[in-house]
Order: sequence, then structure tokens, then C-alpha cells
Amino acid sequence: MARLVLHRVAAIVPVLLLVTAGVFALLHLTPGDPIDAMMAESVDASAKASLRQELGLDRPIHVQYATWMGRLLRGDLGRSIRTGEPVIENVSRRIRPSLELASLAMAVSLLIAFPLGIVSAARRNTAIDRAGTSFALFGICMPNFLLALLLIFLFGVTLRWLPISGYTDPVEEPLAGLRSLVLPAVTLGLALAAVITRTLRSSMLEALAEDYVRTARAKGLSEWRVIRGHVLKNALIPVVTVLGLQLGTLIGGAVITEYVFALPGVGRLVVDAVFARDYPLVQGVILLIALGFILSNLLVDLLYGWIDPRIRYR
Amino acid sequence: MVLRRAARTRLAPFGAAVLLAAVLVALGAPLLAPYDPLEQNLGQALARPGRAHLLGTDNVGRDVMSRVIWGTRVSLVAGFASVAIATLVGSLLGMLAGYAGGRADGLVMRAMDAVLSFPPLVLALALGAVLGAGLTGVLIALGVVYTPTFARLMRGQVLAIALREYVDAARALGAPGWRIAWHHVLPNAAPPIVVQASLSVAFAILAEASLSFLGLGIQPPGASWGSMINAGRGYLQQAPWIVFGPGAALFVTVVGLNFVGDAIRDALDPRLRG
Repeated sequence: MARLVLHRVAAIVPVLLLVTAGVFALLHLTPGDPIDAMMAESVDASAKASLRQELGLDRPIHVQYATWMGRLLRGDLGRSIRTGEPVIENVSRRIRPSLELASLAMAVSLLIAFPLGIVSAARRNTAIDRAGTSFALFGICMPNFLLALLLIFLFGVTLRWLPISGYTDPVEEPLAGLRSLVLPAVTLGLALAAVITRTLRSSMLEALAEDYVRTARAKGLSEWRVIRGHVLKNALIPVVTVLGLQLGTLIGGAVITEYVFALPGVGRLVVDAVFARDYPLVQGVILLIALGFILSNLLVDLLYGWIDPRIRYR
Repeated sequence: MVLRRAARTRLAPFGAAVLLAAVLVALGAPLLAPYDPLEQNLGQALARPGRAHLLGTDNVGRDVMSRVIWGTRVSLVAGFASVAIATLVGSLLGMLAGYAGGRADGLVMRAMDAVLSFPPLVLALALGAVLGAGLTGVLIALGVVYTPTFARLMRGQVLAIALREYVDAARALGAPGWRIAWHHVLPNAAPPIVVQASLSVAFAILAEASLSFLGLGIQPPGASWGSMINAGRGYLQQAPWIVFGPGAALFVTVVGLNFVGDAIRDALDPRLRG
């Protein structure tokens, strides 16, 4: 296992270098002068010159890159040109709503997907299986911003059961906080539930056709015990893989969900920074998101090795 | 042959019909749209769906149906063009990596890993932002996001095919490298690339709609499904049809394209059938 960890971590280093280079280059991809893109034309020339100097844009590009990397290594991700607040502080203020949203969405998706996927596979080609597969198709094809608006229309505008936007801190006010997260979590969780349902159903069907299942049935085990003891465990491996693959979609979905429901999370911060043309903030946040994404993928990789011993020794 | 096999799948005819209808609507938009999609008519603002306006009107009295029809163009162009960019660039890079091997291979593939280190929508959002709002920026951004998938796929194909006997035979006959690549490797590597491309179009359309919804892509007053949905969300209570018209068009198109993609996959590579 230690070898697997070392191997995976070593593989990340060159990728990290390229990722930072890419994020650095982002600012220089703007057609024309990035300073003009960030500031309105009306801003006077001296303010533009001082921003140019502050960002180091008046120096040769390799010097800019070296300075930027040097700061990064000391943990300085730059600061917003609009508010002057360091990126790290801004993100750490907004990380909690995002994590709350993501974990609730994950819970919603597992609560839907596991029963549905298991029953669909166990009762293949029945009405319940068709319902399960239709749900999966619906969830995969439904854009989450549209789903969000449908949920808002149904539960917020028509039935008036739940708040349609805004965020209440669940630590301070547990009930109101949870209520403010229900619609966003369902929006984000449903698409994930669809993918997990589909994967679990097909991997269970595959496992159900194995010889050891026939043996277990021949021993006289009840169908439920066959599924619980023999099928489910073997069917879980593809589900973990898919969960890992879906991380990126989950983060992207969180950006849109936070935007629609006006949640003050990191995703909302990205959108706001993009539209404020606050490029240093965009760079900093994107880099942090990429780091988080790379680390989570690493964890999934290692988890995979832990679940399936065959991978460890490859 | 491939098409005939694709058509035999149960849901494929529906998907093909949706795709055909979308293409016809996109091409015939000027003839089919009952109104000018940009023409405002404040006296008719937020009109309910009815005989005059089949899908109602929006907050400045524009005909929702006409805007959905014109938006079809944007969605299809975005979906197909961005996947075309990714297929072309990705396949070339993958071929280069697989064929050249060594350092070039390492560099290209680590660069692809780096692109994959960003959540797709976040990367597209950042690229779209620096490239400037507009359809071109979105096309390039989505093209970049989808490129690594094709590069990896192509590289794998090239590595596998290069070991085949017919490539050895061609080499023994003295065929130059580009000739082997063009006549022997490419045709045999194509099927999985085609499958991946057809499955990607639906996702690219969804991604364009998401970016337009967030405010990148086609700028107002131009019509795209995503931006229409975003503009309509403030009127969910009084006029939900502003959201549901383009929303239904988007959903049906994506479902249809998914069926077509699945059918093409089943026809070209029966092993992958789910």
C-alpha cells in the first residue's frame, strides 16, 4: 500500500507544475491588455499603471512567473483587485457552505441510488426496474440549473414549503439552515444519484451472473442475504470508480447550484470573480479548486486500492 | 451497415428523429420562426401561451417560440463545433504522443493530465472569461476541456494498432511513417473516436447551456437556451413558460442525442453495451 501511495503522489508532481503554469498563463490569454480587460476605460492611467506594477505585468514574463511561483510556494495565492482581500481568506470564509452543500448532496444521492440500484438489479425487467432506469436517464440528461428552477417552481413558488434562495448558517440555526440547503442539495444530488443508480444496477447484474452467486443460492441462502453478503460488495468497486469520475461534475454542478440558490460558497465566488473580471482572484480560486480536485482524486485512487487488493499489487 | 445496426436499437429512432428535427429547425429558423426573435413588444409582455404566441412571450414581449427556434442554432453549433475541435486536436495530439513516444509522449500526456486536473465546468468558465464573452470563446473553452479524452483514446489506439501485423507488413514493404499512420492506423483507430465524439455532443450542448446560463456565450439580446432560462428565472412566478420553453427544448435534444450516441456505440462496439 505504501508503494501505491508513493507512486501516486510522485505522479502528481509534474501535473501540478503544469497546472500552475496553466493558471499563470490564464491572465495572459486575454485578448489585448489584461489591465484594460480588468478595469473600465474611464479609470485614469495612473491607477492602471499602479495595478500593472502591483501585478508585475511590466516585467518580462519569465520574471513574472518566477515571482508568482515564489509567492505560491510561500502560500500566497494573491489578492482580489476589487477588495484587496487575500484569496486564501476569501476562500476559507466560503468553504463551509460549499462543503455542507456537497456532503448533503452526496447523502441525498446515496439515499436514492442505493435502494433504487439494488432493487432495479434484483427485480430486473419489472416495472420498478424500468422506473429506476428511466430515473437514471432523466437525471443524466437534466441540466442542473433547469432542475433547480423546476424545484424552485414546485416547492418554493407553488407549494411554498422551502426557501428558494439564500443561506442560513446551520450551526447557528439548525432547522432554518437545513431548510435553506434542501433544494440545493437535491438539485446537486439527483444527477449524481442517476449516475450511481445506473452503475450500481449494471455492476450488480454482472455480479449476479457469477458462479459464486449460484453457489450461495444453492446453499439455500435467502436472496437478500445473497445480495448483501456476496453481490453488493463486489458490485461496489465500479461505483467507487464512478464516484471518483463524477467529482469534477459535482464541483461544476456546485458552481451552478450555488449561483442559482445564492449560496455564499466557493462556486459562487468563482462566478462572481469571473464577472467582476477580477483575474487574480479567478487565478487563486481556480488553482485552489484544482488542488482540491487533484487531492480528492488521489484519495479516491487510494480508496480504490484499499477496497480492491488486486490493484495494490499491480 | 453501421447505420442499419444503429437503427435496430429500440430508442434510436426517437433519438434520430429528435436530431433530424433539431437540425431542420436550426437550418430553417428564418422560415419557421413566427416572429422576429429580437423584436420587443412591451404591450404583449409576459403573455400566456396562446394562439398568437404558442409558447408565450417574455418580459419584454419577445416571442418565446421564435427565440427557442433561433436558439436551436446556437446549441447545435456549440455542441458539434466544440466536439469537432476536441476530436481534431485531441486525435492529432494522441497520434503524436503514441507515435513519437519518449519525451513528446510524456509532455503531451502530462499536459492532458493537467487539463483534466480542473473540474470541466470550472475550467470552461475560466477560459471563457479570459477569452471574452461570445460564442467563439465558449467553443474554444469547451474544445480545450474535451481534448484530453480524445488524446488519451487516440494514443491508446495508436499504441495497440502499431503492434499489429499489418503495420509490420506495411513497414516491411517500405511504406513511410505518415502513409502507415494515414492508411493503416487512422482507419482502425477511428471507431472508438467516433463513439466518444457522438456521446460528447450531448454533454457539450449541456455545457454550452450551462455557460450561457451563467452569462458567458451568446450575449443579450441574442437567443440561446441557457441565457433564455437565466433571463426567465426572475419571472418563475408570473411567467414560468419563459423558462420551460427553452428548458423543454434543451432536455429533449439532450435525451435524443444520448439515444443516438448510445446506438452508435452499440453498433460500432458491441462490447461496451451497458
